[in-house]
Amino acid sequence: MLDRLPFQHPVAIDFEFEFGGHKSFEEASRSGERPRPVCMVAKDLRTGQVWKLRRGEFGSMPPFPIDLLIAYYASAELGCFKALGWQAPTHVLDLFIEFRARTNGRNTPNGASLLGALTYFGLDGMDIAEKQDLRLRILSGGPWSAEEMNSFVEYCGKDTSACANQLLPAMLPQIDLPRALLRGRFMRSAAAVEWNGTPIDVVTLELLRRYWTDIQNDLIAAIDKDYDVFEGRSFRIDRWERWLAAHNIPWPRLDSGRLDLSDDTFRQMARAYPAVAPMRELRSALSEMRLADLAVGRDARNRTLLSAFRARSGRCAPSNTRYIFGPSVWLRNLIQPPPGHGVAYIDWEQQEHGIAAVLSGDPAMLAAYVSGDPYLEFAKQAGAVPPNATKYSHRSERELFKQCSLAVAYGMEAEGLARRIGQPPVVGRDLMRAHHEINRVYWRWSDAAVDHAVLTGSISTVFGWPLHVGESFNPRSLRNYPCQANGSELLRLAACFAAEQGIEVTALIHDAAMVCAPLDRLDADVERMRACMAKASRVVLDGFELRTEAHVVRYPDRYQDPRGTLMWDRVMRLIAAREAARQGAA
Amino acid sequence: MSDEQSKPKLELIDAAASDDPFDLAKLRVSQDFLEATPVKKLLTTVSVRKPGQQDFIRVHPSTKYRDLVAILELKEDRESYLVNLGAVPEIQSECYVATLFTAITRSGVVFLWPVRVPAADGRTNDWHLSAAMAAEQAMKNWVRVRANMSLRAYEIFLAENQKAIPDPEWPALSFQELCRIAFRARLIDQANHPVIKRLRG
Repeated sequence: MLDRLPFQHPVAIDFEFEFGGHKSFEEASRSGERPRPVCMVAKDLRTGQVWKLRRGEFGSMPPFPIDLLIAYYASAELGCFKALGWQAPTHVLDLFIEFRARTNGRNTPNGASLLGALTYFGLDGMDIAEKQDLRLRILSGGPWSAEEMNSFVEYCGKDTSACANQLLPAMLPQIDLPRALLRGRFMRSAAAVEWNGTPIDVVTLELLRRYWTDIQNDLIAAIDKDYDVFEGRSFRIDRWERWLAAHNIPWPRLDSGRLDLSDDTFRQMARAYPAVAPMRELRSALSEMRLADLAVGRDARNRTLLSAFRARSGRCAPSNTRYIFGPSVWLRNLIQPPPGHGVAYIDWEQQEHGIAAVLSGDPAMLAAYVSGDPYLEFAKQAGAVPPNATKYSHRSERELFKQCSLAVAYGMEAEGLARRIGQPPVVGRDLMRAHHEINRVYWRWSDAAVDHAVLTGSISTVFGWPLHVGESFNPRSLRNYPCQANGSELLRLAACFAAEQGIEVTALIHDAAMVCAPLDRLDADVERMRACMAKASRVVLDGFELRTEAHVVRYPDRYQDPRGTLMWDRVMRLIAAREAARQGAA
Repeated sequence: MSDEQSKPKLELIDAAASDDPFDLAKLRVSQDFLEATPVKKLLTTVSVRKPGQQDFIRVHPSTKYRDLVAILELKEDRESYLVNLGAVPEIQSECYVATLFTAITRSGVVFLWPVRVPAADGRTNDWHLSAAMAAEQAMKNWVRVRANMSLRAYEIFLAENQKAIPDPEWPALSFQELCRIAFRARLIDQANHPVIKRLRG
């Protein structure tokens, strides 16, 4: 087996850690704290030597030589390396990622945990109840008796052994090692991002948390006066139906005939009918937002597990409730750089459009991207606007073609597009037809991607992140895959370059990254990050550079997402009123 | 870490044969799915009909993609048969002679459009003349053809912004192949063809 691992010191490692003392997994995971190592068991796969270390025995560097770290979800182990001040090895083989790669698109009834992976291969693992009991005792933060610590070490050793002696031999023959190491390389940067965390204005967060229930009631009163659909805190479907009819807004329905009230539908409809937007924000504020879950540590940083490679596309899928970029966009206004610092949100402009244009080689699509405004250029190519049109002179036409481009990127069909733009189906079909006619090369390539996936049983990105096609598959997901999954390659690679240059990346978001730096080097770091993103683009897209855009914020300003400004201002006014009332009462 | 530890001596495996274990150029997987798994669309159905009233159409401009043919139309069955008059001259009077044009809609549907030619006695008919003019126009432009019963002729609607509409993508099949698909089971070239028997009663 080891001849497949060209390393002198491949070491399997597992750490046990806690976050400062918590009573439950939930409490610990929303603590926003950095990991604090409790014990570690490592095994050198060549020599067979095993190291067992307890808190207080760690030292300033690993007591063993290591040139390949093998772990199951390695960003946790690498986070512990950071906590201990240990230098992370260059090479990481993460068996979690490789298990995800092997099963991506396939059914894994036991999940993708270490136990789930062991079960998948028919291997014995530790009893889950026993495992959870030990984890809870570890997360409590101590103090622990010597006997307890021994049981932790023993448990830790079992996980190390499961990785080294069971899972690795089962998986290694089919691991595409060079690309697995590239994926492992990303886990080093994921660990850095999880370590850094995004700076949060905790004073305002505290006010929000304090008044949240009252604010929710205030929001209902303030917003629902224009709709009259709430009864107390309950959303009444019949009243919503009446409001829609009165405003002549056609609303998608489920097969059962009932109105489709999913947030996805609300989001789409809010785009097409701005009058719907406040209701969507209100529903989101009432149902989804659990401010207590937002994971902010005592150092005022939001940090949570990035859940790298959790999405089929290979994108990270951090918890929606714990990650500052998960809940509604208005809450992102809580992001505020610490004194003397700035943050920058840097994203690729029209990433999916650019990826599709380059990988398909479609000349019209590429010309549209290169024009700087692909949506307006698409409208020009379709003859819907004159050649001298600008986004100011033909705003509504541009918006239609923009929505069409986005619909294509997300694999939407004509009817879905029509709903999204609030137009009859024929308009959706005409726009889609224009897209097909103008971007024929793209569509041929996109059809071929679906055919390739179905015929060969899988499809992969430029760097080999695969999606397997099972018995039942969604052709829309397959069509969508090359752009989404290669987009995730772009971000992972940029994150690798950035972490290796010492740039403080605080968050990864779909097609963007947030960086933080002291004010005296903020501009330079933003440029370095953009250079990393440009380089990643050249690597993934065979020389083509996608444009990036940076939104820079300097202390004491806060980050603002324009889509959330109205709601943020509304909530801030409500808080101010509550505070004034409290102080008046005092 | 010592220098020796930080610079591992790697015995590189084939797929990553490079001094740099992260040599990204060597790790690339082609995204050219067209080349990797080529798939060809088979044209299995070609209808023989007039253009739909709402369809914008183009007609293949090449003379290789049209021909003068004899067609027998069974109106009740709404079926058209291609007739080899050399083999069955006795049903000439049941047939009409038409130029069979190769046409295509905006959504890429290929069909054969029979446009009647003037009868042997030279009498013309506005339906036939206007249809022929429409076919001629459609060789250069996207047009819509609609029957106007009061006018007793076809009206031709020209898409105004022709530059904005891309040229059609014609299938890579010859006219003969298109005809073979269109008239697969509807070629009358023998006297004992069931359609002839039916006409004889």
